[in-house]
Amino acid sequence: MSNSTTVKTEAQPETRRPDVIAIRKTCDAEGTGLSHYVLMDKQVKR
Amino acid sequence: MSLPVHAQREGGSDRGPSSPFHPVDINHPTHIALVEPDTAFWGLVARDRLDETLAGGPLLETWRAKAADFAREMDMLRFHLKPSAVYFNATERCNLNCSYCYIPSDMRRGGTQMDRDRLLAALETLHGYFRGHMPADRLPQVIFHGAEPMLARDAIFAGIEAFKDRFRFGVQTNATLLDEEAIAFLTGHGVGIGLSLDGPTARIADRTRQRWNGDGVFDHVVRAIERLDGYPGFNVICTMTEENLPHLTQLVDFFHEKRVPACMLNVTRCTQPGARGLKGDDKAVSDAFLAALERTHTLYRETGRKLVVANFANILIAILAPTARRLMCDISPCGGGRSFFALAPDGALFPCSEFIGLDTFVGGNLFTDRIDDVLESAPFRKVIDRKVEDIEGCDVCPIRHFCGSPCPAEAHEMNGGMHRKGAFCAFYEEQVRYAMRLIADGRHQDFLWDGWDEGTEVACAIGA
Ligand code: SF4
Ligand code: SF4
Repeated sequence: MSNSTTVKTEAQPETRRPDVIAIRKTCDAEGTGLSHYVLMDKQVKR
Repeated sequence: MSLPVHAQREGGSDRGPSSPFHPVDINHPTHIALVEPDTAFWGLVARDRLDETLAGGPLLETWRAKAADFAREMDMLRFHLKPSAVYFNATERCNLNCSYCYIPSDMRRGGTQMDRDRLLAALETLHGYFRGHMPADRLPQVIFHGAEPMLARDAIFAGIEAFKDRFRFGVQTNATLLDEEAIAFLTGHGVGIGLSLDGPTARIADRTRQRWNGDGVFDHVVRAIERLDGYPGFNVICTMTEENLPHLTQLVDFFHEKRVPACMLNVTRCTQPGARGLKGDDKAVSDAFLAALERTHTLYRETGRKLVVANFANILIAILAPTARRLMCDISPCGGGRSFFALAPDGALFPCSEFIGLDTFVGGNLFTDRIDDVLESAPFRKVIDRKVEDIEGCDVCPIRHFCGSPCPAEAHEMNGGMHRKGAFCAFYEEQVRYAMRLIADGRHQDFLWDGWDEGTEVACAIGA
């Protein structure tokens, strides 16, 4: 199992972030998901 | 404190005896992740507040109040979906011979192809099947997929014309046959278009994607991208290989400059042996991939225009709103045979296009069998029943529902069984760590489509 060695090159936020962050949104699982080969987003307007 | 993703096992000593949360080091300077794996619920916590957060407070309270709801939604997502899409392979033939293709080369050279009547009959049968369980206001999706669908262009366009009000259509094409007329037809019918390009210059792109005689097709793809400028329903897929990893940020610049609305940067699926030598090791792939993502962010900041990397956006969505995910490789069971299936030109049905060419995974035939029976066939069950809980290592992995341990076809062919990991565990870990760092930094919206969460409700928003 890997122990991470990712280089931290990303920009860091200037202000202190909240001590606890947790986000969860929910919706009906419609299962419109596809595999990695094609992405079909919302219906393209005709 | 350094906790790798897998440091914690059930009852591990680094969390309180009764805490449901597993600490995961996301390599962030101030925050660490706490993940409850089964419900895919998580919090990002300042390192100096870890002990008190594990002891009590809003994170634990939210989990206690909503764990049952979260578990129910994961169960629904994982085990109770019915198919709403089909990968429709109208031809086995392809005019290219890409080095990592999962379709065996003898099929691509001279395989079978559907004619117009056969294709229309197949769409009729599929329509009858989907209407049986899908609500009237949701259209099932048909994606014409490869080999190269545009070799069966006349039959496919006849199908799109005849069924335009009964399906949403997409086509995944290598772009070589996408002339003005074809583009006008597809865009005029609102068809989703996926192209493939592996590099920002012909020298790089043509290393992996070429004709049977070795000629590259870079110029064709670029011409198609330029013709599609302004059409919101297209995207470009890049398969990350050893050949293009050093050029991935340059490719992102290229896509952005060409105003490509979304792309995918996919790992090489190692189902077929030919792909395995090209895949790149996990660290090289994740370093290049994360650098490319950072580049999309810089470009967005500089220009105000996003280039969404859709497969990564899907991981972010899996973390923020598990039920809203759009791609189904990173949840287990995966979407294969469950939220979609694949049809070969002779009518054979497979759980996913990834299995085409593996005869033991034919579940039945569209023209002779009932689709409901096919979904219950032994080959389909083999894929549908593959879940992370049964895979050694994944069973104790806190991020198992943000990864899904793809891909069953790859695991089966490359690693010797359904209940093995696929080829890229460490890459998936890094991807999730990075996604969580973005959330910790409050940058995640910059990597998502505007309006990605339309239709969702907030179940938890702490510090957000
Ligand atoms: S993980 Fe593999 S089999 Fe499953 S949907 Fe993705 S490509 Fe298909
Ligand atoms: S393959 Fe995915 S779920 Fe399995 S151990 Fe690796 S990161 Fe975790």
